[in-house]
Amino acid sequence: MPLNYKKELEDAAKTMILVHEPNTLIRLIARMLVHKIKVDHAGILLHDRKRDCYILTVSRGSTGLKIPKGFARMDADNPLIKFFRDKIDKKLFNDGAIVYGQLKRAFSGKKVTPVEKNILKGALYQMEIFEADVCIPSYFRDELLGILLLGKKRDRKPFAKEALDFFVALASDVAMAIRNAFLFKELEVELNNKQRLFIHTTVALAAAIDAKDHYTHGHTSRVTSISLEIARKHAQKLNKDYADKFLEHLHIAGLLHDIGKIGIPESILNKEGPLDENEKKRIMEHPMIGATILNPIKELEDSILGVKYHHERYDGSGYPEGLKGKSIPLIASIIAVADTFDAMTTDRPYRKGLSKEEAADEILRVSGKQLDPEVCASFMQIYKEGKI
Amino acid sequence: MAKLLIVDDEADVREFAANFFRKRKIDCSTAASGEEALALLDKDKADLILLDIKMGGIDGFETLKRIKDKNKDFKVIMVTGRKPEDDNSFENCRKLGALDYIHKPLELEELEKIVLNHLAKPKK
Repeated sequence: MPLNYKKELEDAAKTMILVHEPNTLIRLIARMLVHKIKVDHAGILLHDRKRDCYILTVSRGSTGLKIPKGFARMDADNPLIKFFRDKIDKKLFNDGAIVYGQLKRAFSGKKVTPVEKNILKGALYQMEIFEADVCIPSYFRDELLGILLLGKKRDRKPFAKEALDFFVALASDVAMAIRNAFLFKELEVELNNKQRLFIHTTVALAAAIDAKDHYTHGHTSRVTSISLEIARKHAQKLNKDYADKFLEHLHIAGLLHDIGKIGIPESILNKEGPLDENEKKRIMEHPMIGATILNPIKELEDSILGVKYHHERYDGSGYPEGLKGKSIPLIASIIAVADTFDAMTTDRPYRKGLSKEEAADEILRVSGKQLDPEVCASFMQIYKEGKI
Repeated sequence: MAKLLIVDDEADVREFAANFFRKRKIDCSTAASGEEALALLDKDKADLILLDIKMGGIDGFETLKRIKDKNKDFKVIMVTGRKPEDDNSFENCRKLGALDYIHKPLELEELEKIVLNHLAKPKK
């Protein structure tokens, strides 16, 4: 049955939309060419901008030449590259695909200048080295992004016009897709860098809070890691996309949950001995102060809920709003459990901290009263697994 | 016919390079490691050796040293996959007696020229 090129092109285009990884994409294209078009081998040279050369990124062949990945390159002054970059192909041929026989005829023809002749000679030799019967350049706007190299057809017949047109259309789609794929990758890297910068900034802020409150040294990072452990256990019940986002928000909320203590005088935070009513009231302002500090940052919307409500209690006796039961955001209920556990196990000048066992017993005792029972159950699981 | 020995631990590279040079009428043998290359050189001659640097077992540097210990007249070209900008082994290899030093990915025509060139030169 003859190959339906239109359909192949449509299928290829669909694949290109789905695959965002450049190397996977060109591997798929090369494989399609070898298997469907039945050529001896297919190779793709891709532009390396840093070194301004073209690297044979993929080479596939069932019967023909197979060049190992990363083994061969063509520099900018390689005659085949010059042939395309200097637009000699456009001057001599109408269609984008260059066939070896055609190139050879042009070489002996009269239309070429001596300089071009030299380039053609070199380009022909490059095609021989790479055993290419057809070369198809891939442009994005005016930039030569890559070259598709195809070996002979396995039935040794010449390529039909229809097939050559197909390659040209495919090469242009591939160029676009690769461009997009690389852009996508760059964007991802940039986003990751930004994310990292953001987390580091948050960690630095959190360290500033810890430094202010002498007694709770390391409290922020402990609460964050316990919260994340609880959430990972809890997240098994959530959908994956949501769970990933939730963990991100919780990470930030954990680090910043006490940031409001910046607004509380150190004389109160570091006071040796019990606090009076007024001082207690001041301390109780820290979730609200924290929320107010972070409020202008729109991206922190979900994390702020954790900061603002981590002192709410399941039975409604907490602060700042006296929220009750499931109306307390999950992110806050998780921090509340981690915060309570860490506060109980930390030594204070006026009392020694509880052991982990005693603190875990206490968590169980207040579960359903002070703390969300489901979160407490997740906490008990990770506690028993020795993750705390 | 001149004889070229290709030493590389990647099978694809050995296969491709050997075919590439055989098509250019150069007799080729291959070795998958430094150890294998040294054993081959005990029994057989080689007019030129293409030696990859990064290999499992003894690496290219050590293999080069031992080849030169065997017979300092062996002609060796080093091949490396390191990026030229963070590679400073060229001098080192030259001191150890390598004739040339080429970086992958390589220009195939250039590889061909380098190899033909060194094969044409008489041994020192």
